[in-house]
Amino acid sequence: MFFKNFRIVIFVSALFFAALIVLSSQIRQEAGAGFAKKLVLEAAAPLHNALTASIRTIGDAWNRYVYLVNLQEENRRLRRTIDELNSDLVRFREDHLEADRLRQNLALERHYDFKFVAAYVIGREQAALSKTIMINKGSAHGLKTGMPVVASPGLIGRLTDVSWHAAKVLLIIDESSNVDVLVQRTRVQSILRGAGPRSCLLKYVSKIHDVKEGDLVITSGMSNVFPKGILIGVVSGVDRQDVGLFANVRVSPFADFSKLEEVMIIVDETADGGKTKAKGK
Amino acid sequence: MIFYLVLPFWAVALVVAQTVLADVLFSGWLVIEASLVVVICAGFRLNVVRGLILALVMGFVFDCLTGSVMGLFMLVYMVVFLLTFFVSERLVTEKLYIIAFFSLILSLMETLFLLLFYQWIYGINLAGSLLSVFLPQALMVSIMAVGFFYAMHRIEEMIYGKSMHSSQRAGTF
Repeated sequence: MFFKNFRIVIFVSALFFAALIVLSSQIRQEAGAGFAKKLVLEAAAPLHNALTASIRTIGDAWNRYVYLVNLQEENRRLRRTIDELNSDLVRFREDHLEADRLRQNLALERHYDFKFVAAYVIGREQAALSKTIMINKGSAHGLKTGMPVVASPGLIGRLTDVSWHAAKVLLIIDESSNVDVLVQRTRVQSILRGAGPRSCLLKYVSKIHDVKEGDLVITSGMSNVFPKGILIGVVSGVDRQDVGLFANVRVSPFADFSKLEEVMIIVDETADGGKTKAKGK
Repeated sequence: MIFYLVLPFWAVALVVAQTVLADVLFSGWLVIEASLVVVICAGFRLNVVRGLILALVMGFVFDCLTGSVMGLFMLVYMVVFLLTFFVSERLVTEKLYIIAFFSLILSLMETLFLLLFYQWIYGINLAGSLLSVFLPQALMVSIMAVGFFYAMHRIEEMIYGKSMHSSQRAGTF
């Protein structure tokens, strides 16, 4: 037992002594790398390289992953932005078109010396029996039954039913619509009657009257319903072959009734009797 | 015998790993002294001869690879091992907070020894790094020791069905 413990003490002392000798020799002189140290460095180098490369690979993979995650997030964000921009674009395009239409209606207001009320079309009924549209203004805005309704560049109809905040417009293409008109070039007076989705007829035009294709048709102002001089359409065909006294004259209205969105209602004619003001037009 | 053959390679691997990890995690600002944790653990688990040789080899490899004064860590690790070995009979290694505290004390003692050594031998005052470097290092050793001992317990329980205690160490030679 004594020898066993003694051997341990000697062993421990020897190790400490060896360590102290190494330490003191290093302190006393800056010795270069000894053989054992070289061996350790030689053994450590490949391990160091492998470990560093592995960690770098993991780091690169992680960075790539983070990059891809960021990329995905950025992609999602950009898609959201594109959606928002598309939505804005549609809105702006719509606003632009509306502004164009309103500008045309405003030109009407400048051209004619009338007092107008603008209204949005909120419904349309262009079935076989009636061709009408519903607008979002009514008697609360000063509208009354019979008031003419225009949309650039001319007449489209008149109010037939007016409630407080809505009104119905009978379009000039409705078969029950009759408007006193003039053929602008020859001043031939006639009645314009609706004849379907895109056309009207001029009634009571004698075969001997000078009316030909391309003549402009305007309101005559005779019925006290429509002011004089409002554009309606253009003569698109004249047929004098039928048996009878009158020629069959077809008129194409200027307005596209299927695309009406905003209209102007003439609520008051000015003191000059609604004569047109030619403002450089 | 296999222990003595494998030990140098294992020591090199451990010191290289801790150096690389420290470089990656702390950019060389701190040293992850896993080798000190291993020496402390050896103080509780190994006999004098194996433990001292482990401490010596570990210190030698550490000295070689970290560029410290040759023999310094050999001496420090042997002292740490012997201190641990002598107190191991009185410490309950299952209580992790005791291990944490003991490791912290040993790490601080190591720091103190290094500070004194550099002050006396080279006249370099490293006390400025005490709070910013040495204390975090000591805390890290303490935390690592807890993890290491816990892992050892779990592994021993998995292999032997129960964890080994200091008193169950094999013979001295």
